[in-house]
Amino acid sequence: MMAKTNNTSWADDTTDVVLNTPQVVSEENGVKTVVEYRLNDEGKQIKVTKKIAIKVIHETVNKAVADRKKWTKFGQERGNPPGPNISTTNVGEQVFLKISQWGVEKPEEEEQANKALDPSKNKLITCRLCKGNHFTSKCPYKDTLEPIEEITSGQAKTGGPSTAAIAAASDGSKRSSSYVPPHLRAGAKPSTGDSPRDRRDEHPTIRITNLSEDTKEQDVQALCKPFGSIARVFLAKDWETGVCKGYSFVSYYEKSSAESALKKLNGYGFDNLILRAEWSNPSN
Amino acid sequence: MRPILLQGHTRPLTQIKYNNEGDLLFTVAKDTVVNVWYSHNGERLGTYEGHQGALWSVDVNSKSTLLITGAADNTARLWDVKTGKQLHVWKTNTAVKRVEFSCDNKHILFVTEKRMGFESEIYVFRIDESGTQSDTPVVVIRPKDSKATVAAWSYFDKYIVAGHEDGSVTLYNWRESDPEKQISKTVKVHQDTITDLQTSKDRSYLITSSKDKTAQLIDIETLDLLKLYQSDTSLNTATIIPDRDYVILGGGQAASEVTTTSSHQGKFESRFYHEVFENEIGRVRGHFGPINTVAVSPVGDSFSTGSEDGYVRVHFFDPDYFKYKFDV
Repeated sequence: MMAKTNNTSWADDTTDVVLNTPQVVSEENGVKTVVEYRLNDEGKQIKVTKKIAIKVIHETVNKAVADRKKWTKFGQERGNPPGPNISTTNVGEQVFLKISQWGVEKPEEEEQANKALDPSKNKLITCRLCKGNHFTSKCPYKDTLEPIEEITSGQAKTGGPSTAAIAAASDGSKRSSSYVPPHLRAGAKPSTGDSPRDRRDEHPTIRITNLSEDTKEQDVQALCKPFGSIARVFLAKDWETGVCKGYSFVSYYEKSSAESALKKLNGYGFDNLILRAEWSNPSN
Repeated sequence: MRPILLQGHTRPLTQIKYNNEGDLLFTVAKDTVVNVWYSHNGERLGTYEGHQGALWSVDVNSKSTLLITGAADNTARLWDVKTGKQLHVWKTNTAVKRVEFSCDNKHILFVTEKRMGFESEIYVFRIDESGTQSDTPVVVIRPKDSKATVAAWSYFDKYIVAGHEDGSVTLYNWRESDPEKQISKTVKVHQDTITDLQTSKDRSYLITSSKDKTAQLIDIETLDLLKLYQSDTSLNTATIIPDRDYVILGGGQAASEVTTTSSHQGKFESRFYHEVFENEIGRVRGHFGPINTVAVSPVGDSFSTGSEDGYVRVHFFDPDYFKYKFDV
């Protein structure tokens, strides 16, 4: 019996008229108070009080307009009930009219679309000839600048063995279409040898491998200093942890000191490990 | 604002017109049916059926009792607005491109197309509001240099002002029967075809739109250029908002080029320009095709656009629009 009252079905609800019919309690100053009793989700009886203010708005319209509102429908609409028919009348998406004194701003998406279509607005595109914002093939200086490029690549050919290889690589790229790094391409600035990266190869360098993980740059310096003055020490370290990766490059000013270091350090025991020292290969 | 979409046509819209009180909206398209709608809620009141070709133009008299339509089936027809009954048919040699009631409702004009060896002509007929209509025109104006594309009555029906294919606007003294004396004044205002010509509420000045991407405000008496509105697309229509200093222009790419671009580039927005300062002040988007016709309710609370995409959109202005004050 208990279970039955808790599980009130919709059929039971409708029979309980007194419980469910909203009752108008009071009506004053145009505000109607309606009280309604019903069961909530937990089966408890609750009282709902609603206050409804009714405001009648009188609209004055032209007499002719009021008359026309009563006209009967004709043509394809003949016999249709009053009110808009959804087959012909719909409400569209919200649109905005923002009146602005200073003209109309272009919608952002439109600009983006323009950007994508118009290469001149895309910063990613750079002409290889004039560095302008367009494709190289569309460069206005194509005819005038291309001969200059050939002259510079010709100079590169006579520049030295490494740049000759560059020119050869670029020539090969025309045929085989294999990848050529940008700095090796025809028209790229020939290397001047001014950067430290290029000067590094001028010094005699030895490679020391099988270093322990705990090795620091100072340890390598202390190890190699007795053989002569050191130009540069490079110790390969893990980028994140700073732990030694096990190898190092040491450049000396004198070839003789490098040779003696190579002789002594190869097979030298350092931090429980046997070191291996050899001449380092040039970077290219 | 949420526009009301009216889907009563299956082909591109050609003209829409409000009646004098702004409660009825008449729309015609390149299909054969004329629709009338209650403008406040978009409810269709009825259709006028009988035409056998694309409809080009529609107009209603100031009492909203009679309706006139012009179509490509070489007829202009008179209808009873309330019942949808056809009252009269005028047969012409070519398509009727433009119709309009005179201010006093006693005359109508229609502009016929230049085709099949027939020249473009402007006919004026007398309208008897209670009885039978005459098939003999009061006067026939034959534009000489270029065909007329649009025409309207001036203030007090003094002139008929017509726009031509070559961009010129001509003032015709329609009461004159001698063709030599009919042309009162002609001025070439546009570089290309005039696509629409709508008068101000008092018919003392008018706005023209043209394929040369401009719309111009022109004085009817002198045909002096008052204002010029420059846009970035070819214009199909222009209208003057009666109670505010704004004009609305509509246009877009030609229908044949629409499929080659997205709707963003199509420039299918209705553009609002300040009537006096000539600068663009706002846009309303929504159509998928070029706007062929735009109309403002005489009450000034809403405007409607009809497009090549077959839809009519009725926009009621937001309260912001009425509150906005232009800072000079």
